[in-house]
Amino acid sequence: MDFTLNDEQELLRNGLTRFLATRYDLEKSRAAAKTGLGWQPDIWRAFAEELGILGAALPEEYGGIGGGAVEMMLIAEALGHALVIEPYVDTAVVAAGLLRRAGGDAAAELVEKIASGTAIVTVAATEPTSGENWRDVTTVAERDGADWVLRGTKIVSASTPLASHVLVTARTSGARTDADGISLFLVEVGSSTPGLTLHHYRTVDDRRASDIALEGVRLPSDALVGGAGVAWPWLTRARDEGAAAVCAEAVGCMRKVLADTVEYCKQRQQFGQPIGGFQVLQHRMVDMYMHVEQAAAAALLAILKLDADEVTRARAVSAAKVTVGRAAQFVGQQAVQLHGGMGMTEELAIGHYFKRLTALQFEFGSTDHHVSRYAQASVAG
Amino acid sequence: MDLEWSATDLAFRDEVRTFLAEKLTPELRRAGQLMTSVYADHDASMEWQRILHEQGWAAPAWPVAHGGCDWSLTQHYIFSRESQLAGAPSLSPMGIRMVAHAIIKFGTDEQKDYFLPRILTGEVFFCQGYSEPEAGSDLAALSMAARDDGDHLVCTGSKIWTTHAREANWMFALVRTSRSDKKQRGITFVLIDMSAPGIEIRPLVMTSGEEVQNQVFFDDVRVPKANVIGDIDDGWTVAKYLLEFERGGGATAPALQVMAEDIATVSAQQPGPSGGRLLDDPAFAHKLAELRIRTEVLEILEYQVLAVVAAGGNPGAKSSMLKVLSTELSQALTELAMEAAGPRGRVYQPHATCPGGPIADFTPPQHDYVSGEPWQAVAPLRYFNDRAGSIYAGSNEIQRNILAKAALGL
Repeated sequence: MDFTLNDEQELLRNGLTRFLATRYDLEKSRAAAKTGLGWQPDIWRAFAEELGILGAALPEEYGGIGGGAVEMMLIAEALGHALVIEPYVDTAVVAAGLLRRAGGDAAAELVEKIASGTAIVTVAATEPTSGENWRDVTTVAERDGADWVLRGTKIVSASTPLASHVLVTARTSGARTDADGISLFLVEVGSSTPGLTLHHYRTVDDRRASDIALEGVRLPSDALVGGAGVAWPWLTRARDEGAAAVCAEAVGCMRKVLADTVEYCKQRQQFGQPIGGFQVLQHRMVDMYMHVEQAAAAALLAILKLDADEVTRARAVSAAKVTVGRAAQFVGQQAVQLHGGMGMTEELAIGHYFKRLTALQFEFGSTDHHVSRYAQASVAG
Repeated sequence: MDLEWSATDLAFRDEVRTFLAEKLTPELRRAGQLMTSVYADHDASMEWQRILHEQGWAAPAWPVAHGGCDWSLTQHYIFSRESQLAGAPSLSPMGIRMVAHAIIKFGTDEQKDYFLPRILTGEVFFCQGYSEPEAGSDLAALSMAARDDGDHLVCTGSKIWTTHAREANWMFALVRTSRSDKKQRGITFVLIDMSAPGIEIRPLVMTSGEEVQNQVFFDDVRVPKANVIGDIDDGWTVAKYLLEFERGGGATAPALQVMAEDIATVSAQQPGPSGGRLLDDPAFAHKLAELRIRTEVLEILEYQVLAVVAAGGNPGAKSSMLKVLSTELSQALTELAMEAAGPRGRVYQPHATCPGGPIADFTPPQHDYVSGEPWQAVAPLRYFNDRAGSIYAGSNEIQRNILAKAALGL
């Protein structure tokens, strides 16, 4: 058992943390989110070129640095601490993971482009009737000569307004919730493909997402990524990696929120003393602290079990998502409560972090979803 | 002892229903149903107040002599519940439900004659000036200076968390007229004309993006002493009286019941985590049942407090208990609504809702696209805004302190 980071990992974390502290300005990023492009492309270029973080957790054959899950955790936590809205998890973790496992030259080339920051790829797997179950796929892809024709609707596809490509799940065979028969298709976002409509919008946590209508969208044969009907194992794996990364991001968010709250309670005077002197608030902050520590431990568990067998991985990731989801809710809500009215505004960082801590409880499966998944995996195991 | 409604009550309910069916236009209904906080869109709210006033129902809790209704406790409750069920927009509590009671109890005849009819018609619209940047939970520490200058008080300082300050033409405020050992002494309750020179308003953008709250700055603002309610230096007495009204004077259970019923309705149309309907998912169904149980119990507790108030009594610490229970229940309901909204609860689409104020820095998507149903657009905004429930009107920590002393003698 060893919880220490190696030298390269220390360097990665310290370099990224220093970069974000000096170059990532909260107000600038919110302005980009609200009235600008939705992100800062120059920051993304720096992530790829100056820091090399986009490929840090990817194997060297894809232009990566050869790190793994621990590198991904360090990056996501640092990004969470600075409330970075640029789509690291959606692109460099989830989409890159899918493409790597699907294999093939075109996919490999795209992963290299992700690592170099020249392509942004996202995933569209949620449907109006799927709830949180990515296996529930009603979008259909049918052969027509050499082409594929896609029909269906995808919703809340995260970061797709910023993307060059989106990986769309569609059923090429099987019944609605079968594991077999799900395929991945690569769709170019900027292209004006007949039948393809993208509705872009902002999310409550100041990111961007899209609903996608596919009404007889005709794609060439090579738009199919990997084999037909065999994408489910890649999807469930990529979703777990996304969930684990978001858990680490949440830990970064919560550490910042807790530190800010403690500092605020030391400064804020009411009834002739700092409010941090009141025992009821001290206990509340201690509870926040214990939630954060449990969340960090749970995130680590998920990260270190990503390469384990499927049942072990499912249990670890769901345990983490549940623990982190509960923590994110409690820590976010109490940080607002202890900041009083100021916590309800956009004037302090806390309000922005609260919104992210709310949204991430629902990303890659809600707390309830993962409780029942953990229960099922435990029975299966 | 009896919890049932009488035939008279049922007839009254039908009268209210008929009125609502007739007068509540689709626009007003939309404004009520798509509220993102306890505050409705200002124009819709004032329009609804005008319609209620025509019927004589704008301020049912006032004494009949001033335009109130001769209703039983049950009738007040029925009116509130039916209005909520029908989706009526809420009225601003500041005038009718708050300052008016101070004017009725402590005001001069001139003050009553001027303000009460105008509050009813909406000609006078009040905002509240209590909190200051350095006086929140510790309200009595307020320091906005009111210097004595003959017939006037001259006010300099700042108020914060002023709801609808930009829409209001009057403010009721607590100002500091003198200092002594006891900080509650030396506070004066004044009515300030918002068009007076020296007032500046800065809107505060809330996490929901809404500009409903404000900070208001006063620089040598002259307030006639004729606008003091009660005695100079004794405003705390007036404020305490009003706080009891704010905490114990209304019934929140009807609104919370409607929230719970709405969640049941929409979750019957949402996919559950393991197929089927969300409403049938055991974990979700349990949570909804727990919240409905809390709502039912709260309703009885509120009835008991209303009965004390109606008999002319003071609910005392019980009103603090109701404030804690109802705000925390409301917050739990907004959490469950977020869960019901599913992935679409993450979409920011205030253009599909009727918020209580303008939205900062927002351009709707092309063609005003909305992902999912309007209630899914409301869910996250309500969740964010409702966090204020445990902060405003005396934070829930303060209420628990009050309860420890007053209810348990600790």
